Amino acid sequence: MSAKSKTATWRKWNNVLHRDLGYLCAGLTVVYVVSGIAVNHVADWNPNYAIERRSVTISPVAGDPLTPNVAVGILEAAGVEGELRGSFRPNPDTLRIFIEGGTVNVPLAGGTAEVEMVRERAVLHAANFLHLNHPKKLWTWVADIYALALGVLAVTGLFVLKGKKGITGRGAWLSALGVVVPFVFLWLYL
Amino acid sequence: MRVHLLVSGIFLSALACTANRSADQGGTMYGETITLADTTRISEILSHPGDHVGQRVLVTGMVVDVCSKRGCWLELASDREYETLRVKVDDGVIVFPMTARGHRAVVEGVVEELELTEEQVRERAQHHAEEQGLEFDPSTVTGPETTYQLRGIGAAIFE
Repeated sequence: MSAKSKTATWRKWNNVLHRDLGYLCAGLTVVYVVSGIAVNHVADWNPNYAIERRSVTISPVAGDPLTPNVAVGILEAAGVEGELRGSFRPNPDTLRIFIEGGTVNVPLAGGTAEVEMVRERAVLHAANFLHLNHPKKLWTWVADIYALALGVLAVTGLFVLKGKKGITGRGAWLSALGVVVPFVFLWLYL
Repeated sequence: MRVHLLVSGIFLSALACTANRSADQGGTMYGETITLADTTRISEILSHPGDHVGQRVLVTGMVVDVCSKRGCWLELASDREYETLRVKVDDGVIVFPMTARGHRAVVEGVVEELELTEEQVRERAQHHAEEQGLEFDPSTVTGPETTYQLRGIGAAIFE
């Protein structure tokens, strides 16, 4: 086999590997893209839960505030729906009522009660669950294999094309730029 | 085709096993398996913290608050009025869901003493107020504080 033919065979298998790994990784890559952007901005918003807060005015609470009947009465008066889970007094002046999907902080002397309802962001919560490896166990292996596959994709991607648009031409410049970018930010921030 | 089906089946089975977060003791488990059998009252830990610092203990109580963004801490109601114990876990190692609020939890961990400067107390209070959507009142911070928390190792939440 000539050197030219060997190169052609090598590149053919490189491209096959790159193509099929790309297909395999596409789904999980989309999950990681969505989750990655979501958790990057965790300082500005909650990527897992949609939290809705509102205020309601309530009358002074009569009776033992930790009694379920009293808590249910407060919820009804405040127009808050949800199954009662329990209640807790963080201090002598406040009652915190836990309902399915939320909490209500009630001033026992009456006034403004704060209602907080929490709902999981269905798609993002699931994507973050996988991306941040909350499941642990077997998923750790799946994520490791995926990470290795991305590495192989990156390396095989360098050699897909030959010629002036390949790694010996334009590809070299773009690859070098990609390597330089993180170093520029390290230089800026460290 | 058969090979494809087999590979898909193995992958989906693996995912199903992963998603089946155990229901030992009737609760959802987080972190390591709970090894202690006897619980220590939270009020006892907070009354005599010096006797418990560095010790591995098992505590139980209602979850009254959870870190809303990272699930990296929760607060358990004490058996004594108006008192809570914070359980802190390493970010990402254990992640508590916000939906745990109002449910009973059993947590095993090591009692820690934290000596916070006034600035750290202020930062913590401000961060907590922001998470709760409340206004931060700097006058509530009067100086450095020594607080106690549990470094969580394993937990079961009974939802």
